[in-house]
Amino acid sequence: MRNIFFTVLCVLLFAASVQADEADEVQVMLKGKIDAVMVLLQDKAVDKSRRNEQITAILMPLFDYHAMSRLSLGKKHWPTLSQEKQEEFSDLFIKRLQKSYLDKLDIFTDEKILYEEPVIAGKKIHVPTILVSKGSRIEMLYKFYRSRKGWKIYDVEIGGVSVIQTYRSQFDGVLSEGSIDDLLEKLKTDGVFVIPAPEVAEARSGTD
Amino acid sequence: MKHTTHTASAKFLFLLILQALLLGGCAAHSPAVHKPVASTAQEETIAPQEAISPEEDEGVFDLEDEFEAADVEPPVDPLSGYNRVMTQVNDKLYFWLLKPVSQGYSFVVPEGGRLAVGRFFNNLLMPVRFVNNLLQLKLKRAGTELARFGINTTVGVLGFGDPAAKSFDLQAYPEDFGQTLGHYGVGGGFHIVLPLLGPSNLRDTLGLIPDYYLDPVSYINDSKTELAVRAYRQVNHTSLHIGEYESLKKDAIDLYTFLRDGYEQRRIKQIEE
Repeated sequence: MRNIFFTVLCVLLFAASVQADEADEVQVMLKGKIDAVMVLLQDKAVDKSRRNEQITAILMPLFDYHAMSRLSLGKKHWPTLSQEKQEEFSDLFIKRLQKSYLDKLDIFTDEKILYEEPVIAGKKIHVPTILVSKGSRIEMLYKFYRSRKGWKIYDVEIGGVSVIQTYRSQFDGVLSEGSIDDLLEKLKTDGVFVIPAPEVAEARSGTD
Repeated sequence: MKHTTHTASAKFLFLLILQALLLGGCAAHSPAVHKPVASTAQEETIAPQEAISPEEDEGVFDLEDEFEAADVEPPVDPLSGYNRVMTQVNDKLYFWLLKPVSQGYSFVVPEGGRLAVGRFFNNLLMPVRFVNNLLQLKLKRAGTELARFGINTTVGVLGFGDPAAKSFDLQAYPEDFGQTLGHYGVGGGFHIVLPLLGPSNLRDTLGLIPDYYLDPVSYINDSKTELAVRAYRQVNHTSLHIGEYESLKKDAIDLYTFLRDGYEQRRIKQIEE
């Protein structure tokens, strides 16, 4: 009887340490990929579009873009779309995400990236990093979950702001007033935003 | 004797298992031992309404809980009309005035110099951070702020250098009065976009008043000089962050709601810390 208890105890303790090990492994994996990306980013001589392709190829396996697309629309909207629309949306959204992420790395990493202890958050693993750039420190948190294909990123928080959450509320806003086609249209017009407000008389305030 | 140790260890184990169940933590790694836990906690989270999803969708909607919890009702936004207009005004002010001026300035002053100036102004703002850390009873952080000020003002030559961070690994702990209020449970209130300063809310706008009095620049006697110093501080800051707003803007489907939600999310996180 006692033996069984001890076996159970050992297995439980083992399981806990395995999870801690896994968190470390995830961090090491992330660090390896990001280090490779940093090398490419700091090489200003390389052609930018080719460089970006290489970076995307390195990072691609880290992210679960499919999950990110679904989460950004949520239970509320994703299931209501036809499969074609889902795919079209995913394509556009993923491109946008990749571009935006590259942009952020490019801007905020002129010095270095610091890695903090990974955190086990329930069934997820959070890997906090700090981008040191021009005297300021920007926290970038990578959130991993266990997918069928191993640990994958499903969300990134930059300075405490969740990328998925932000898109989620924006998409919800668009979809509550319009259709999925409106949203797709907005995603296509890359980097162009619309402020649906009456045009203001030119801002002619004094200098400051 | 043997009996008692037995029950004690059984009790201990019971607690341990209970804990494991509650946390759902180590479930997946030892399927042989507690299979039932594994099935509820980790794998096989089926999204019943889904037929489309291929195999990798396992547990994606399980993740959704996290976001659903944070989904808030569209916030009460009585000033949204004004806010949208002011967002656009600030946008124009940035592109037409602040950015070109800052670019010109950064053309003349090398980055190292601008970084030093930034550190100098940052050092001067110590009272804001110190007092607000103190008000939140974050005594250790308040102490760090004092130590940083002491080191950087002397060894760091009036704050132009930051040896406190470089040699002593003492980092600044930014706090403001809005965060102090938030720390004691004051909600943000409705969102306000301030001219020049950008997104804020009722609480944080009120918080600017005490912070104003903690900012040494406010004690410059001549109001023209004070304004000039403030403008210079802003230009110097902007010169180091050109491109960030532009990049952020690209993420926006609707700039105003994007900036609003981002601001409120960030403030919640800052207050939590």
